[in-house]
Order: sequence, then structure tokens, then C-alpha cells
Amino acid sequence: MTTRELLIAPHRFAFGYHRQTFWNWLIGTAFFLGGVGGGLFLVSLLTGHVAGMLAGVLIVVVGKNSAHLAFLGRPERFLRAAARPDRSWIARGIWATGVFAVTGFLSVLLRAHSPLLQLPEWAANLNYALAAASALFIACYDGFLMRSSAGVAFWRTLLLPLLLFMYAALGGITLSLTIRELQGEAPPEILPALEHGLLVANFFLLGIYLLRMNRSLPAARATLRQWLNGRYARFFFGLVVLVGLLATLLLSLLHGRVQTSWLVLLIAACELAGDFSMMMLLLKSGLFAPQAAPAYSRGTAG
Amino acid sequence: MARLGMVIDLKRCIGCNACTLACKQENGTPEGIHYARVVTQEAGVYPRTKRTFLPVLCNHCADAPCAEACPTGATYIRPDGIVMVDHKKCIGCRACNVACPYMNRHFIERGLLKHGYSSDGISPFEALKFADFDEGTNIKCTLCAHRVDEGLEPACVVTCPTDARVFGDWEEENGKLQRLVKERKAWTLLPEYGTKPSVQYLDE
Repeated sequence: MTTRELLIAPHRFAFGYHRQTFWNWLIGTAFFLGGVGGGLFLVSLLTGHVAGMLAGVLIVVVGKNSAHLAFLGRPERFLRAAARPDRSWIARGIWATGVFAVTGFLSVLLRAHSPLLQLPEWAANLNYALAAASALFIACYDGFLMRSSAGVAFWRTLLLPLLLFMYAALGGITLSLTIRELQGEAPPEILPALEHGLLVANFFLLGIYLLRMNRSLPAARATLRQWLNGRYARFFFGLVVLVGLLATLLLSLLHGRVQTSWLVLLIAACELAGDFSMMMLLLKSGLFAPQAAPAYSRGTAG
Repeated sequence: MARLGMVIDLKRCIGCNACTLACKQENGTPEGIHYARVVTQEAGVYPRTKRTFLPVLCNHCADAPCAEACPTGATYIRPDGIVMVDHKKCIGCRACNVACPYMNRHFIERGLLKHGYSSDGISPFEALKFADFDEGTNIKCTLCAHRVDEGLEPACVVTCPTDARVFGDWEEENGKLQRLVKERKAWTLLPEYGTKPSVQYLDE
């Protein structure tokens, strides 16, 4: 069966695949900002870049949390979501965001040698460790959350948290390079090399993810067909692969020869566009499997 | 310990949607939300075609992924196996919606309870029923828990004109559910998702 024949049910009384419409662009934006902000903070903390750390904290605390609150049906009750960290990835995410908001801001003050905050060395190191751990968690917990969402087969693999973490690291490095460029500060030599390495690694990891999905449940294979030659092929090949990975890699290689600020901004725009498109594709292309008697499910929907 | 559930005989179902309407009337769900529905499938190529009807409702899974995904504990499983939602605890994150492979969770969008099926606002019936719901939260089939608690069967079961639905307790030794399943080959929806549904089907 080709993608064009994929049976998408027009409503809940009809047989066929059902599109995932519950998690929309707001959740996609929140996950994207969490990845990029967490990644940026981590990279900046490791390379001692205060402006990057501050930007990372603001992206997570203001950007990501605003998108989450805007999405919730009852945002005034959001603290209730912290109730079950032993079972829910959302609850773990709330705890991590709370820890990050405090330790992240303290880390910025400590790194900036602010007179507002004086801590003994062990306490400062403990704070850095907590901030780094919570940033790392924020950068990849949405992958675990999506993986644990049993209804959408395309998300049910451990490769998803890994893929989203790799994208978070890539986005963090790209933003860190961009902020340094705007500040007129030379980046550590390792960052451009890491960016190139991650772009190549993400390309292959994305390929492995799709190969894995090709051996997964029928609903996952149906989503894969939409990515490769169906409704979402233009977005996948155009934005995720061409703009987000290949163009970003070529432009960043070119930046080694041509040192201009506009090129750095263009690289950041391409990478972030690819990263965001990837997240939105993951959310929008998710399918629920058709429900049918075993005798009728074979050959009609798979 | 009880585990309430249902067996649905597809040989008997005629696709009349009486269960859909009985459920709507019993629970008074807002516009566009149906706890019980009949999925219609047409298969084959003319002249060899077949139309089948599959009545679906919440499967009240023993390993309910919606309850597992809920961060607040708003979705919980009663001792009798019925999966319920406490709408006062629900924050509307919709994690349960993407967790349920059967799409049997329903989100009440903002403003949905401000209008009913008629064009003149909400009817007295809807005003009465909508008091049980909360905008921005999730709802689902309760297996008519309010009726079950009074010793009655769910509305969809008592309404079915062909007796296609049989309600009972899976834990009851040699009870009517166990007997049916032993006599005829039963199956569940999407077994590959490992949810252990309490609703099983017969079609042979």
C-alpha cells in the first residue's frame, strides 16, 4: 500500500488511522525551547560563557514554561502536576525545571562574580552540578515523555530521547556560537568542530531512527511513509534534512573561510528551523492505529 | 477483587448506534464527545464488499496507559477495575490522550460547555448534565459507574436491542464473561499495545 492510499479516518466513527491532534504547536514550542535552552546552558556552563548561561535560563524559565502554561487546560492547577515524580515524566520535568530555575540563576550570578552572591567553593560547585544535571534532564526528558505516550507508535523507541538530546546539544552549540559572535567574542575552537560532528551524527541518527520505525508497529510504519513520500515529505526533506542539517553543515564549513556575522546568523536560523520542524513533524505526524477485528485489520490498514 | 468489563458480540451488532445515543443521554456529554461509538468499516471491492460494525468504548484496561501517564493522579483505577477521572485534579495536559491507543479520552475545550446541541444556548437537560464536567479537563467513559454502584448495568448494555453487549465481572469464576470467552474465541483491540483491556469481542 502506498502512502497516498493511507486510510486516515475523517472522524472517530470511521475506520482508519487517526491523526494525533492533542499535542499541538504550543507543546512543540515548549519541547523545542526546553531542548535549545537546556543545551545552551550546558554548553555555556562548560565553556564559561555567562551571556549564554543567562540566555539558556531565560529560554527555559520564561519561554518553555510560558508555552506549557498556555497549552494547559487548567493552568492555575499546574503545580498539581508535580505530584507523582515516581511515575510521570511530566512531574519529573516540573521538578527539574524548578531546580534549574533556582540553580541556573545562581550559576549565572556566581560565574559573573556578582557581589550579590558569595558562596563557599563546595556550595558553588554543588550548585553548578545541580544546574548542569537539571539542564541535561530538561534537554532530554521530553523524549522520554513522548516515548512513554503509548498511543503513538512512532514515538515508542528509546532512540527518541537520544535524538532529541542530540538536537538539544546541537541547538545549544549553535546558539552559543551566535551569541558570542554578536558579542564579538571568539568561541573556543572545540565548539565549531563539535557543531560539525553533531550535524553529521544527527544525520545518521535520524536515518537509524527511521530504519527502526520501519520495523516497528503498523502505525509507526504509516507515519514513516508520510515522512518519506507522503503528506510530510516536503517538510522532512526540505526543512529537517536540507535546511536543518545539510545547509547548516555547508554554511558552518564555509564559515571557517568567510568570517562574517550574517553567516553565523544564517547558520543559526537554518539549524533552529530544522530543529523546530523536526519537533513539529514528530508531533503532527503521529498516528493512532486503526481499531478493527483481527480478520479485517489485515491488509486494509497496515 | 472485582474486575468489571464487557464482552461485545459482533455477530449480533447491527450498527444501529443505540448504544451511542443511550450513552449520550445517560451521561450528557458535550457536543462532539461520545464515550461509546460504533466504528464502521467497509472492506473489499464491489461486488464482494462487506460492511462491519465495531462498537467501541473505554476498555478500562488493567494496565491503563492513561492512568500511568497522568501526572496528577486525576486518572485512577477503582478497586472494581473501572478507570475514572477526578476532574478537580485534572490540569488538562492531555498526556492521557496521547497515551490511550484507543482514543477513548476526551478533552473539553474552553467554551464547549457554554453551548449545547441546540442553537439557543444550553437546554435544562444539558445544564444539569454539564454540571458534572469542567472545561479544560479530560473526561472518559465511566462504565456508568453511577449506575453500577446502584446495582444496574451500563446504559449501553441495557439499551442494546440485540443483546450484543454482556456486562459482568472478569474475576467471577465461571461467570457469564468467562463462559462466553471459553465457548467462543474472544479477542481484544490492539493487543500489541499490552494494555490488558476489560472489553473483549466475539465474532465467531
